[in-house]
Amino acid sequence: MSAPRVQRLFHWFQRTRVGRSIFRVGLPQSNLERSQAMVSSFLLHVQPAKVGRHALRPSTTFGLGLISLYLFFILIGTGVLLMFYYVPSTGHAYDVMKDLQFVVSAGLIVRNMHRWAAHLMVFFVMLHLCRVFYTAAYKPPREFNWVIGTGLFLVTLGLSFTGYLLPWDQLAFWAITVGSNIAGYAPVIGPKLQFLMLGGHTVGQEALTRFYALHVIVLPSIALLMISVHLFRVRKDGGLARPDEPANTVQQMEVSQLPTNKSYGLMELARGTTPQVGLNPADEVFSWPNLVFRELLLLLATIAVVLFLAIFWNAPLEELANPIHPPNPAKAPWYFLGLQELVSYSAFWGGVVVPGVLVAGLVFLPYLDRQRRGVGRWFAPERKLATTLFTIGLIIAIVLTTIGTVFRGPNWSWQVPWKQSPAPTEGP
Amino acid sequence: MTDAPLRRFYGWFTVLGLLVGALVVIAYYRDEFRDWKDYQRTFQREELRRATTPEQQALAKDLTLQVRQILLPDLNRVDRCTTCHLAVEDPSYGGYPQPLAYHPQHDQHPFDKFGCTICHRGQGRATTVADAHGAVPHWDSPMLPLKYIQASCGQCHQAADNPAAPELARGAQVFEASGCRGCHKLEGIGGIVGPELDKVGARRSPDWLKAHFLAPATVTPGSGMPPQKFSGQDLEAITLFMLSQTGETMPGFYSSMKVIPSAGEGRRLFQQKGCIGCHSVGGQGGKTGPSLDDVGLRRSPTWMIQHFQNPQAVSPGTVMPRFGFTEAEARALTDFLMNLRDQTMALTLPSLMSPVERGHEVFRKYGCIGCHGADAKGGVPNPNAKTAELVPGLTFVGDGYTKDELKARIVKGQREITPMDPKRPPPPLYMPAWGGIIQDAELDDLVAYLISLKPKSEDLGF
Repeated sequence: MSAPRVQRLFHWFQRTRVGRSIFRVGLPQSNLERSQAMVSSFLLHVQPAKVGRHALRPSTTFGLGLISLYLFFILIGTGVLLMFYYVPSTGHAYDVMKDLQFVVSAGLIVRNMHRWAAHLMVFFVMLHLCRVFYTAAYKPPREFNWVIGTGLFLVTLGLSFTGYLLPWDQLAFWAITVGSNIAGYAPVIGPKLQFLMLGGHTVGQEALTRFYALHVIVLPSIALLMISVHLFRVRKDGGLARPDEPANTVQQMEVSQLPTNKSYGLMELARGTTPQVGLNPADEVFSWPNLVFRELLLLLATIAVVLFLAIFWNAPLEELANPIHPPNPAKAPWYFLGLQELVSYSAFWGGVVVPGVLVAGLVFLPYLDRQRRGVGRWFAPERKLATTLFTIGLIIAIVLTTIGTVFRGPNWSWQVPWKQSPAPTEGP
Repeated sequence: MTDAPLRRFYGWFTVLGLLVGALVVIAYYRDEFRDWKDYQRTFQREELRRATTPEQQALAKDLTLQVRQILLPDLNRVDRCTTCHLAVEDPSYGGYPQPLAYHPQHDQHPFDKFGCTICHRGQGRATTVADAHGAVPHWDSPMLPLKYIQASCGQCHQAADNPAAPELARGAQVFEASGCRGCHKLEGIGGIVGPELDKVGARRSPDWLKAHFLAPATVTPGSGMPPQKFSGQDLEAITLFMLSQTGETMPGFYSSMKVIPSAGEGRRLFQQKGCIGCHSVGGQGGKTGPSLDDVGLRRSPTWMIQHFQNPQAVSPGTVMPRFGFTEAEARALTDFLMNLRDQTMALTLPSLMSPVERGHEVFRKYGCIGCHGADAKGGVPNPNAKTAELVPGLTFVGDGYTKDELKARIVKGQREITPMDPKRPPPPLYMPAWGGIIQDAELDDLVAYLISLKPKSEDLGF
């Protein structure tokens, strides 16, 4: 069926009685309808009716935030399917993994999709964070949205970390044991925090129950709420950061100053940073189809990548968790391996100071870096210092993570991956 | 103007849409087409070919493609082996190529109660050939090669004296006779020089075990275990016995099979219950009851079993008490007594042996042979030990030690063995402290045995 024919079919459907009841505007034919489609549809009204050309340029954002959002949706979808089978019990969880693989229809592919989408989401959220930093998009008026974003980054890590335990295999058990030990290094509250997290001193049934509850209800709800606020603030703070953004000069009127003999529309209460302020009409295009279709294409591409990974690479599943036999080395999930590498030098510095300073630095960044220049441009020359510092930190994180992931063998000793040292020997 | 912007995206939508569609098809294909379905279709074709009556034909036609499984909640297992091995219970498939072969001799171990993996190992939940047979990464329990299958009998049945599992019984015998316990603990009895062996069968492969026996240091660098000189059959037997040590505890129904009636078990009961207090064997023992030397000739097994369970029933007025033996125990005792005609059996009854003979038994039981050699002549290599790099023989200990000194030495052991060259690694073998492991009475017998080792001829001329 050719595309115009699909379109005709849709046109016919939206003119039927049922169609008219569903679509308030229908497939837009005119510019007016294009605006109306955006404004009057629940799913689309989050976005403006018209959007600046700069927002459509791939190099503005590379769609990193949107990809993260799509991955989150894929994770919810596959996660709910997995919940239909999963039992958060140390005696059954591992068996469920085996059943998913061997007897549940599409069980393996769903689990694979969930696993790879989770890793990808952590990765893309990190990339998104880097993008926002390098384009200085956290500067006023977007400071608080950056704070929400770093919160979402931590929630993403929390989601991935809590999900890591659920298969209850050796990989899960020891990664969480190592990861929760890192939390235990914090002074004073560390051991208490670890106890609270695990519901005991070691990873066991209580830890599995807690991680499950956090993973399937608490953290996703928080994430969903924060994502909503995050997207809302993107619009309210003036859309995507752009170089020619007007300074925030439009004064908001005090309500008390307004004459009392007339009523006021929303526009009159709006602050100077709302989306359309300062935008040159010549640089604008209609969101339908320019923005919406690009977003749909990105959705298809994201699904394709996740499906591709899920078809050809199985999610890891090692032996059943065995608290007596730690693998050597026992490694945390990859996004914590930089920390684990640091912890191997010093538990206090690697487990407390560095992550503490990192998180605090990220959260308070917009309030520390008060220079207002360079917004909306990649690696703006005016921000040489900030860019350099961030890049050095990033490189250190990448190097540490790579060392922890690839170059650490038994007893956390140096190991070259292409020259496997003989397996450690033990008694019979 | 109206449709132009839309059209720009058609190409991309087509490409990405087709890509996602193709991936969904691939995912579906890989999920839907599984090897086990082919095996089930082959089975159905075979059934249709063999059907002679319309009823049989209808039955064969009704075979649906489905995962078949045996649920074993007591064993915490789900065995899906019968998904492919469809004809295990049908004798008419005897000699068919796998996976459709019939499983002979399973009447004592019905599949619905035992499943498959409890004997064969492998991965019961899996439904692909490689995963199910278990020789895949991250699965600890690959299928047991058929020549070692008797190792699995040891899961529920005792190993020693098991007539149904001769290779396993032989392995247990080799284990005891070679003195492995001198260094290794098994089921709580043995030394502490080497690691415990309670779970070794779950962690080591047959090849590893065999290589380890012949040259321990090649598979475990730095191992101080002396290389063993097993004959081919003994090597296989002890490998099999080691494989049977999985450390898995079986639930009640299965572990109740641990004690099977056997002459050896009967001997143990005979000793434990003090039968010798009233009855005599080989001229020794009490006179209250009749001598039992020729009881096997006088009585039938049926009579004896009844007699053990309720003496009054077959011998009214007898003074023999009712001991409350279980059926298995009564059978074991009967087995033992029927074999009393065999004089060697009677002679090894501990209560009838001299302290020296019993001491020799103790010497064997705790594996002293493993290091001090058969008849305590020594000669087992202990690299860098000052005593000519050998574990010393014990032939002349009676000259250097009093009984109490000997006992003290055995109880305390000797952790540090004087090295020949202090710069080289210390000698790997040492004398464990046996206090608390060897019982006091056993210790007396053991010392009597050790002192008896000095050849009598040595006294001549003094």
